[in-house]
Amino acid sequence: MGLREDVERYRAVGEERRQDLADFIRYGDLGASRADAVRIPVKIVDLPEFVYDYRDRGGVGQGDAEVGDAIEPVPGPDGEPGEPGSEPGEHDYYEMDPEEFARELDDELGLELEPKGKEVAEEIEGDYTDVARTGPRSTLDVEHFFREGLKRKLATDFDREYLREALRIDGWGPARVHRWAREANVPVSRGWLEVEYARIDDRSRWDSLAAFEANVEPEPAATRIRREGLRRIPFRREDERFRHPEVVEVPEYNVVVVNIRDVSGSMREDKRELVERTFTPLDWYLTGKYDHAEFVYIAHDASAWEVEREEFFGISSGGGTKISSAYEVASEILAKRYPWSEWNRYVFAAGDSENSRGDTTEGVIPLMEGIDANLHAYLETRPDGSGGHATHAEEVEEHFSDSGNVVVTRVAEPDDVIDAIYDVLSTEDDEE
Amino acid sequence: MSIDRRYDLKRKARKLTDVAEDARALAERLGLEPVPVNYWLVDYDEMNALIAYDGFQTRYPHWRWGMAYDRQRKTDRFGAARAFEIVVNDEPAHAFLQESNSSADQKAVITHVEAHADFFANNRWYGLFAERVDAAAMLETHARRIESYMADPEIGRETVERWIDSVLTLVDTIDQHRAFEEAMPVSGGDEAPDDTPPLSDLAVSDEVKAAVFDDEWVEAYGEEEPSEEPVRDVLAYLRTHGRQYDEETGKAVPMEPWRQDVIDVLRAESYYFAPQKMTKVMNEGWAAFWESIMMGEEAFAGDDEFLLYAEHMALVLGSPGLNPYKLGKELWEHVEAVACRREVAERLLQVEGIDVRNFHDAVDFERVRELLLPEPPLDSITPETVSDLSAVDASKVDRAALDRALSGELDFEGQPWRLLTYAGLAERHFALNKREKRGFLEAVERDDLERYARYQFEADRYDSVEEALADVDYAAGWDRMYEVRESHNDVTFLSEFLTPAFVREGSYFAYEHSYAADGNVVSSTDAEDVKKKLLLLFTNFGKPRIEVEDGNYDNRNELLLVHRYNGIQLDVDQAADTLERVFDLWGRPVNLKTIVKSVDENTKQTARRRGREPEAVEQGKLLRYDGEEFTVEELDWSEVEDIAADDVDYATKPEDWLG
Repeated sequence: MGLREDVERYRAVGEERRQDLADFIRYGDLGASRADAVRIPVKIVDLPEFVYDYRDRGGVGQGDAEVGDAIEPVPGPDGEPGEPGSEPGEHDYYEMDPEEFARELDDELGLELEPKGKEVAEEIEGDYTDVARTGPRSTLDVEHFFREGLKRKLATDFDREYLREALRIDGWGPARVHRWAREANVPVSRGWLEVEYARIDDRSRWDSLAAFEANVEPEPAATRIRREGLRRIPFRREDERFRHPEVVEVPEYNVVVVNIRDVSGSMREDKRELVERTFTPLDWYLTGKYDHAEFVYIAHDASAWEVEREEFFGISSGGGTKISSAYEVASEILAKRYPWSEWNRYVFAAGDSENSRGDTTEGVIPLMEGIDANLHAYLETRPDGSGGHATHAEEVEEHFSDSGNVVVTRVAEPDDVIDAIYDVLSTEDDEE
Repeated sequence: MSIDRRYDLKRKARKLTDVAEDARALAERLGLEPVPVNYWLVDYDEMNALIAYDGFQTRYPHWRWGMAYDRQRKTDRFGAARAFEIVVNDEPAHAFLQESNSSADQKAVITHVEAHADFFANNRWYGLFAERVDAAAMLETHARRIESYMADPEIGRETVERWIDSVLTLVDTIDQHRAFEEAMPVSGGDEAPDDTPPLSDLAVSDEVKAAVFDDEWVEAYGEEEPSEEPVRDVLAYLRTHGRQYDEETGKAVPMEPWRQDVIDVLRAESYYFAPQKMTKVMNEGWAAFWESIMMGEEAFAGDDEFLLYAEHMALVLGSPGLNPYKLGKELWEHVEAVACRREVAERLLQVEGIDVRNFHDAVDFERVRELLLPEPPLDSITPETVSDLSAVDASKVDRAALDRALSGELDFEGQPWRLLTYAGLAERHFALNKREKRGFLEAVERDDLERYARYQFEADRYDSVEEALADVDYAAGWDRMYEVRESHNDVTFLSEFLTPAFVREGSYFAYEHSYAADGNVVSSTDAEDVKKKLLLLFTNFGKPRIEVEDGNYDNRNELLLVHRYNGIQLDVDQAADTLERVFDLWGRPVNLKTIVKSVDENTKQTARRRGREPEAVEQGKLLRYDGEEFTVEELDWSEVEDIAADDVDYATKPEDWLG
């Protein structure tokens, strides 16, 4: 329908005018998106018109109100269409699913992450190439069936006229003809010969076999069939063959992403936002690349606990910081729910590099080594760049400098986010 | 479509055909005169697609339809703004019902549609477009024309779409109160042949034209020179006199024929849809009113059930608390009640002993209420009581139907209306008997009574109240409504019938943006202010009036548009963007004269601190776009005096506002 084209065209227009992915990740409003739908604001969508300034215009309402009462604002653009142009800054969104997001990010950052299959395989139905002797009627292999019947017909068919003439050889009779026919591999029965013999006239048309052979030509079966047509084909049950689908094993691409975040007192708003801006696109990216993605969110200060996605970025608590607590919880959860043989694992942790004394070397690093994963990452958010005792990132980096599946990256401000994402995603890539 | 589904739909459709026929019969008995309606059952996706296309199946290709569809689907994601039906002004009219509606919904919807079909057929504003219109065919032809331009390798989709974009920005700047005419009227009747090239197409300057062709010749040629008077149909003006800007030569050249054709198409469509835009409140109110009468009559759903749907619709319509269905329905009920009250009051004034001065004392309103009730056989019609109808006055009963009912031929179970006439139904539904209108009669004002008395010939026609009320024409309310639905549009409807009483009873208020509160605040509950504000929202499609003042501004063939300022300023940013598009259609620099209210930042801050509204200063401005840059010039008040508000000032902010 024309509308389908118009919708595509609208998407194309939206795509042309949407915010650049990198800008979106760095500065854009991530709040309008969900886990499975990335919504990027489109700069302009609707056409301008000569309209009143909406503020100057005012309006009319109904209800018990006094002069001077404030009025609730009209529900915003998410889901409710306002009048075009009535509210400034009303955006439309270009919506993409995680797969598209992953593709676009690959393009923009030049990545090529290939999802890895794990042992778990799904059994799916392949082509209908397997054959069995029983099955539903609808899967009968008709060609085969027909061919067998035809073969059978041809095998039992013989040139009747020819044999009738043979019976007219002087002095032969059915028994003799039968013997002779059998030797020539003509599948005629004795009974049939007897019956015919009784019916025919002129039993001595031919003096000898030689005379018969000289004067009568057998007609090949094909010509005969072509002339007479095929009226009956002997089908037999044993000719039936039924098709079945092949069972094909397809590896399932599963991924679990463990997001760990330091929520202690030192992780203020600006740091939290940087974490969100980095982790969210990573989550989308992996969702887009893998068939099946699950997420585990762990918050920690001096101890760790599992949380829901909605709470993950917003939580903050007081207290000190012990990063290993999070890795312990992660290790437990992964061992219990996501066996390495079946799941690809990504373990991303974020914080400001503050940790209890000794915890990094004695707690975190051994735990990290103990957790099998495609990739471990630590994201250090230090907008104020303070040095001193916050050395977690450094220590991890140094210890794992040779390892191909641990990456440490740093963000101090929104501009760094894209690079951080690239660091994380390209590390695993390099390993290939 | 699978066989099962098709069968299922057919079954549903069959059942609904009966409902539709019954609804039509009832509608006609109530006095409605709808055009024939074709009903269609569609699924959720088809419904959204139709809504995106304004109820039609084919429109010219453009991404905005995709946007409309996208928004509709998103809004409706959780069924919050479900469209129950969409009905199209055409002959026959087409109505699309969502097949997932419950059968109760469908009945409501069908009655609603019948009323719409009556409105389209009888409201005079619809006749302005054409005597008869085959809208679907017209829109399809338009689509084909535009598609052909898009398919033309020399033009291409993008170019056409960009042109459509430009034209669409001006699609409401038409003269919607006049009958539709093609944009190139040949003055002097029908002699001039259609293919005479317009003078403006000749690529010569005005000086040359003036030198070569004298005035007489131009007049004889039948060419309209850009006129002296301001032109309301801006689109037609641009179609006739506009040019294209040729980037290479830097000159204005005649508009290519396909571009003119596209303007013609979009302009025609704008005129086609204009009456619907101009009668939204009336039309929806009308349909809501009759639907609730019919549904009440059928005792199928109470009035409140419909309003529930209307509340849903309110979400879609944006303005806080203002709902055209509700506003329209309430206004119609007001029209009805006022007319009924007038009828009764006039009768009472003709009773000996009752006059304007003693009306409220002399009349026993309790007694009047009792007398106005419909006679029992009309009120409740059951198999036991139906024979009583024979005794009722012939004007109120359908004698032939009654006979068939009595003989057992006609089954009126659940459809007692089949036995009554328009007059009988009117009595059954008499407005003053409704619960909500209790006390309405008493509330009649002295002024009204005086007005009624002024035109009466016989002051003492009746001896008693009983006698007077026996003569009451119960159909007075409906008769008046039928008159009004023919002649009015939203603006005149609101203007005439939005009375102080109505505003009070409905608790309507006007609101304005307040700088001090940084948000919207109730500015007035005064009826005049509410009316003013409503009229602002509805006059000229709720948009500022823009007219062409001069096609040769500054003697340089520049276009001068003016904004007829009424106290409310334009959205300047959007106006600037729109001017760029106007340039596309004019080919030479374009100007817009307007008045802007400015409040500087300091004043705003002070206002916020002090909780008082800042004073806005009105300033004349000239917005100009020359193809490359956009400029704003301040104008002396003397230069904008002519466009400044002289009649109605729509600003309703009171002098001293927030306490």
